[in-house]
Amino acid sequence: MSGGKAVATKKMNKAEFREHCWGLAFVSPAFIGFLIFMAFPIAFAFFASLTKWNGMNSMTDNFVGLNNYIKLLGDDKFWKVLLNTVIYMIGIPIGMILGLVIAVGMNRKIKGIKFLRTLYYVPVVSSLVAVAILWMWVFNYDYGLLNSVVKLISGKHGPNWLGDEFWVKISMIIFMVWKGLGSSIILYLSGLQGIPRDYYEAAKIDGASGWNLFRDITVPLVSPVTFYLLITGLIGGFQVFVEVLVMVPSGGLNYSAATVVFYLYEKAFDSNQMGYGSAMAFILAIFIFIVTAINFKGQDKWVKTIE
Amino acid sequence: MKMKRLGALALTTTLVFGSVLTGCGGKDKGTTADGKKNLSVFIFANDHESPIYKGMIEKYKEAHSDTIGNIDVQITTQDEYSKTLTGMMTAKELPDVFYVGPESVQQFVENGYIENIQPILTELGISTDDLVAQEALNSYRYDGTKVGTGDLYALPKDASVFAYAYNKDLFDKEGIPYPDPENPYTYDEFVEVCKQFTKDTDGDGQIDQWGCGLANQFMIQQYIWSNGATFLSDDYRTVTIDTPEFKEAFQKFIDLTLVHQVTPTVEQDVSLGVYQRWLAGQEAFYACGTWDVAAFMDKETFPFNWDLCGYPTLSTGKSMTWLGTVGFCVSASSPNKKEATELISYLCANEEGQKELCGVIGGQSIQLPNLKSLAEGEFLTSIEDGSLPFPESVDVFFSYLGGTGNYEGRFQETTYTPNAEWFDIFFKNVDNVKNGSMTVDDFIADVQPQMQESLDTAWESIE
Repeated sequence: MSGGKAVATKKMNKAEFREHCWGLAFVSPAFIGFLIFMAFPIAFAFFASLTKWNGMNSMTDNFVGLNNYIKLLGDDKFWKVLLNTVIYMIGIPIGMILGLVIAVGMNRKIKGIKFLRTLYYVPVVSSLVAVAILWMWVFNYDYGLLNSVVKLISGKHGPNWLGDEFWVKISMIIFMVWKGLGSSIILYLSGLQGIPRDYYEAAKIDGASGWNLFRDITVPLVSPVTFYLLITGLIGGFQVFVEVLVMVPSGGLNYSAATVVFYLYEKAFDSNQMGYGSAMAFILAIFIFIVTAINFKGQDKWVKTIE
Repeated sequence: MKMKRLGALALTTTLVFGSVLTGCGGKDKGTTADGKKNLSVFIFANDHESPIYKGMIEKYKEAHSDTIGNIDVQITTQDEYSKTLTGMMTAKELPDVFYVGPESVQQFVENGYIENIQPILTELGISTDDLVAQEALNSYRYDGTKVGTGDLYALPKDASVFAYAYNKDLFDKEGIPYPDPENPYTYDEFVEVCKQFTKDTDGDGQIDQWGCGLANQFMIQQYIWSNGATFLSDDYRTVTIDTPEFKEAFQKFIDLTLVHQVTPTVEQDVSLGVYQRWLAGQEAFYACGTWDVAAFMDKETFPFNWDLCGYPTLSTGKSMTWLGTVGFCVSASSPNKKEATELISYLCANEEGQKELCGVIGGQSIQLPNLKSLAEGEFLTSIEDGSLPFPESVDVFFSYLGGTGNYEGRFQETTYTPNAEWFDIFFKNVDNVKNGSMTVDDFIADVQPQMQESLDTAWESIE
């Protein structure tokens, strides 16, 4: 009896082993790719962050320990760009609210709806650089579309959108919301279409108003999408770079438009302070990790799924 | 059977990744099977230069087919160049020939990236005496402590000049005599002339024509230097922007916008850059680099008649501007240093190639000739007979390049520092002064410590 069991176990183990091998063979390309293109660069950047490496000198001869991190914490410019980056994140809830409202509007059979959906999605698939250049012209102080409209309506010259410390942030938020709106709409649409009609019908029989339906059924049941948008928005928000580089290449008056990644890029590639830039990248990664972890931790309290 | 397939899969995976990695890290071997030398070249070039350099390299290869096997040429944009080169350095995969600026010579030598080509030039009997820009040539010398003297580590691809230009059509329209290229305006004369151009031409209550366009970072040094001031001390270790001479020159530069109002305001500059306004014929004066000549002579780009002149002079009485250069160097790890040195000498001094670059052939000039014989001969005669479209006062370029009684050209001070961050700090917030929200004194008191700290960090990073 026990001998038979042992044979069965042995056979199982062999089959399992074979399966494991196949599994490993299939994941190995991705795993090797991860090691080469992610794990190694991360380890390399971490080591670089402990040195005064400038891209040309030897890293090992220029080891400075945690000096770059200490210096960074006392760097006013770093805190300024971090604040700018956080301010830009005001666009995340704005984009989510707009996305949900428009998605609700689009979640019905009306003429030309496919065309409208496509239209909203065009900015998402367009080149970021191309649309950033386009918006530079929209925001142009003298000749921009926005100021032409402002002048037409108010008779006064509009603000210096990209040249003023306050307005440049507003401009960037407008641009980022516009650029990301298509994604939010499409994701919310898919979320909305996953809500069973019965829920709404049952609530209507109970006398619920349109607002009640939206607040108590729609909003909670698309919360997984909201959670996804929030997480990806925050991660992306911490990494804003191209928009600034294209629209305000100097970083704005008094560095008012610069983000952490923009500053990191300038330090690493313009000033050749690769070590300092790597330290900044690490601090940024830690911020992103903390914010994401907090979000995941708190999701149980507000993210609902359809049972 | 299954195990065999599993083994085959594992082997395939290994081979695929192995070959990918080899592909990433591999490069042509230095020698072909039949003993010829292979070379690799990495440079940046614009659309006009790119085919010229490729053609020159192809001709060189053909002419040396008995000794040269393959020449692998990689051309990128100027913006991407330094990042890619840093990557190559980190990967220890430097090409045999690449560009270096004078500001990097010391660091590249000290870190063992570039070869001392002086002994090879001597061995090959290559002379550099016929090169026009001897100052540019000297900027690639390094004696172990200081750049500017000692052995050569690169040969200049070119020497460029950032001269001043004026729109002749606007002068004709306003009935103002052309500037004298022999005697640049004084600052006061310049202001008076500029005032005559600055006006609202279409009657909508907005100024739409100005005396000059001021590109801060590229045009302030002309004022500072002409007033006998500098950004840095002679040893390039101390920021000296708080001297009375510096402040006075800076104030005069700012006054052109705030007091005399002969240049677009900060807001107007944000709407449409001063370069675009020059191209649109809205400014009487703007800069012209040697690389701009072909574009400005093209009526599609700049549909006006124009000529060169000097920047206005301040207390020294000398019209000043900055010069630029980039040089070809040979990698210290190249297995074919001799052949690489021969190639760079060809690229710098080959007459046919130089004729194409300066426009004697093709009619589009993007640089001054590197060769004295060409600069003083066929280049000038081509301009005179009209076969090379070029502004009449070409001497302005050469006056800045070689220096005369009232003209002087210098390399930017960032050329001699490990990076330009200290310099950028000045310009990041200079619009605060140009828009009147800060005084010159307050601004300097604010930025000088930041610039000094950045400069100290830069020097520390290479020591």
